[in-house]
This record gives sequence, C-alpha cells and structure tokens, in this order.
Amino acid sequence: MFKQLLLLFALCLGMGCSTPNLPLSLTYKGYPVNNSTTDTALTNLIQPYGQNVNKTMGTVIGFANSTLFKKLPESGLGNFMADCMRQMASKQYNQPIDIAFMNQGGIRASINKGNITVGNVYELMPFDNLLVVQEVKGAVLEQFFQLIAADGGWPISAGSSFVIQHKKAINITINGNPLDPTKFYLIANTDYVANGGSNAAMLKNIPFQNRGYLLRDALIDYIKDLTKSGRPINPTIENRVIVSNE
Amino acid sequence: MNRRNFIQNTALTAGAILTSPLSEAAAIPTQYPLSILHTNDVHSRLEPFPMDGSRNQGLGGVAARAGLIQQIRNQAEQVLLLDAGDIFQGTPYFNLYKGEPEIKAMSKMGYDAVTMGNHDFDAGLENFANQLQHANFPVVICNYDFTGTPMEFKYKPYITIQKGRQKIGILGVGIELDGLVPENLYGKTIYKNPIELANINAARLKQEKCDFIICLSHLGDKYEENKVSDEILAKECYDIDLIIGGHTHRFFEQPRKYTNKRGGDVLVNQVGWGGIQLGRLDYIFSGKNGKNLSKAHTVVITRNTSK
Repeated sequence: MFKQLLLLFALCLGMGCSTPNLPLSLTYKGYPVNNSTTDTALTNLIQPYGQNVNKTMGTVIGFANSTLFKKLPESGLGNFMADCMRQMASKQYNQPIDIAFMNQGGIRASINKGNITVGNVYELMPFDNLLVVQEVKGAVLEQFFQLIAADGGWPISAGSSFVIQHKKAINITINGNPLDPTKFYLIANTDYVANGGSNAAMLKNIPFQNRGYLLRDALIDYIKDLTKSGRPINPTIENRVIVSNE
Repeated sequence: MNRRNFIQNTALTAGAILTSPLSEAAAIPTQYPLSILHTNDVHSRLEPFPMDGSRNQGLGGVAARAGLIQQIRNQAEQVLLLDAGDIFQGTPYFNLYKGEPEIKAMSKMGYDAVTMGNHDFDAGLENFANQLQHANFPVVICNYDFTGTPMEFKYKPYITIQKGRQKIGILGVGIELDGLVPENLYGKTIYKNPIELANINAARLKQEKCDFIICLSHLGDKYEENKVSDEILAKECYDIDLIIGGHTHRFFEQPRKYTNKRGGDVLVNQVGWGGIQLGRLDYIFSGKNGKNLSKAHTVVITRNTSK
C-alpha cells in the first residue's frame, strides 16, 4: 500500500512536469524609479565610488583665457575641438592627418572662462563618440565639404579652409593646398560621422581605423598636454570658414 | 474501499499536498502568480539623474531601484529580476571603474539573469569578463560564440529557474557587433543568427520541460529597415513566451503582443533606459493543463493601475 502511494506520488510529480502550466493572464506596470524608498545598503555600496567620481569630475585640467562658444560659420570652440582631433588622431594612429572635422551638432556646451574641469569636458562631449581615421579620395571629400557648406559650415582643423557661397563650398584648401579630387587624404572624424551620421552618406562605406579612443578622452588628453607644456587655451577665428554671398 | 476509489481519493489528497503547501482546506488552487521585474539599458546610471531641470531629474539610481524591488518582493510570491543588457557606459562611474559598482549593485539587488548589450563591450571583452567576478547572477546569451575569448567559460546560452510550480527557461540574444562595436573590443567573438539560435535553444528549454520561456534580447524592438529585431524574433519563434528587450531605449506604453509560428502569443516589453523605470509583468499561470498542449493559447493583458 505504501508502495502504491509512492508510485502515485511519483506519477503526480511526473505529470506536473510534463504538462506545462500555461500563462493565462498578465498585468503590467512600469514603475517610475523615484526616491520614495531608497535602500541603505545600495546607497552605502556606491557612496565611496561616487565620492571619487565627483572628485575626478571636479579635477582641474586646464584654464580658458576666454569663454569659448560654438558659433557658425566658425568659432574658437569649434577650431579648438577640430585641432584637438587632428593632433590627437595623428598621435593615436601614428600617422600625419591631413584634416579633422567636428560635426557642429556634436558640440554640446560652452567652455567658460577660467578653470576647465574634467566634468566640463563631459558636458562638452557627453556622447561616446570615437575618434577615427579614414582615407578618403579628394572627390568624395569634396562631396563632404558640400554637405558641410549646406549645413552652414562645420569646424575644421588649422591649415585648411573653404568659402561658403550660396550654400556651396568653393576654394577648398587642405593643408594649404587646393583640394585635389584625385588625391587620397587621411581625415579624422568621429565614428558617428564616419558611419554616415549627420547625412554624411558619402563616408559611410569607406572603412575607418578605430582604436576605441573616445573623442572625450582625446579632449581631456589634449587639454592636459597643452597645460603641461604651458600653452594657453585661447583659440581664435582664423578665417577657416568664410561665408561670401557675392 | 475498492482500489479505484482509493486511487482517486489519494490522488486528490496528494494533489492538494503537492500543489498547495499552505492550503487550509482540500481546495486545489489552480492559479499561480509569477512577477517578472525587468530593466534594460541602465547605462551606468548608479545615481539618480541630477536635479538640473531636465525631464528625468531625480529619477533612477540603484538605491531607489533596490528599494522598489524590495517592496515588490515583500508582497509578491514569486519574483524574477532580469536585465536586457547595456549595463555599462553613460556616466563617469563607468569611465573610472569600468563597471565594477554596476555589477556589484546588481548582485546586491538579486538579479536572476542578464544578457549582454553592445556597450557592455566598451571597456573590452576582457574587462566585462573580469567584472563578472563581482556577479552572483548568470549572463545568458546564445548567439555569441565566445570560444577562445576571456568570456569563454563565463556565460551560458540559457538557464532554468524553478519559481514555485513553474519551471522558467531564460535565454539571451545579442545584436550584430560588426559596425556597432569596434573590432578590437569584441575580438574573436562570433555573432550568429539570433533567430536560429534562439529557436534552437528555446526548443532545448522546451525539452527540459519548461513551463515558460523568456528571451532577454538586446536586438532592439523594431526597425524601419529589414534588420533583425524583437518584432521579427517574436514572429519567427516557436517556443518563446516573452521577450524582454532593450537597445532602442523605448518606453513601451504596454507590452506588444505578437503571434508566434505555433499561433501562440509572444509578448515583448521594454522600459526605456537609464533605470528611469522598472518594468513589472505579473503573470498568472494555470495550475495544470493537460488539454491545451498546443501552446496556441491567448494571454489576457491588463494594466495595473494601482499606485
């Protein structure tokens, strides 16, 4: 009799497993995660990390002689960022870069006159855009300049210039020489733009070198380098981009 | 008492004992609850969003999330806590600590399983694998082949968890890495077709007699172009009941319902990003159901309007 019961028990268990328990109904809710109830253990867990994060964000890495704004067709802030991209890309990829581009929409804050902190750079460049390098034929680069001109002019690195006339780019010079449609140029961009972002479709299918170097880290390194070598952060307008509606 | 009667009576009693350890009477309960809590794309948001007048100010943060989870655990019978990837990247915490506090916090909150998002590769695959020393939860992903990488022995294609009467199968799928994640970060990881692998692994879970199969997905909910997504997975799968999604940072008004290859319901849900919301799906399961084995069943969905 006990044996029978055991057998039955096993049978029930077996059945319980072989016949699925089906879901009949579902009630859903999205809870806003607000501070109404906080867990002390978690607060304590992140507290030491947070202290250090706040300290790091407050770390001063340089000094701005004047407030740097973003502005079209050209701005000190834009020039500063494009120059940083060219120099740090040359360093990171160990090859001379002909020209660097900073997409105007990617500049997210100003840099105020005075001390520059790591946190300021996070505000300037909150995106995790990577600094990448592409080898681009002059003819394609010209199309890219046309996009930039139609967009009002993005920041470009020192030594290069162009004129926007009726939303078209003319008189394009790269490194002091007129753009040669048959020549290949090494350009520095964010991975966002190199992947065709901001309508840069002409760049999309061109392979790019990527070492996982964030533009934000490039900016922090660049500012630190300048500060270390005693050079001021004082970019100027150099007529890299000129609007002429003659 | 003849033998047949004896068996019937005993079956009833044994059934009652088995199904309802807490029942006072002989009544056999026929419905079993399971509460699934979920997050996605938390992106290193350990602290609440700063009080700077922006839309999300004061929302999120692990302390508040843990408090909420604890409240729910105090009330609900069976709780699962899941995350659909992109745990990493987005605040300076990640830049400084490469994910250590994120993984520690999730361990403390009692996550049952997570899958990997593209940003979880951001400090390199070796870093992700290293940070898992702080994890007490498994990483499930079935369409990345990590052979020969630091992740090789640190993930599972799927897991099973017994929750009360229900045996729950959980698998994971990840997004195509090429073009999204720098190659030097994902290394020798091989991306495989998520639909194929999800179906193969869900079939295994079915063989292991799971009552309910959840897929954690970082594919994204849907795309304009014909790119693989949760929507496509839902329509092309056979055995998956629920897809907990991510990547596209969408706050769903309500779970989306699709019909799978067997004609059954598949639900997809996603709760935005940044830990702004905690998703809660309260399922009620039938006690036993020998008749309806086809899986071509319908799940009734309602919104929980309680505070």
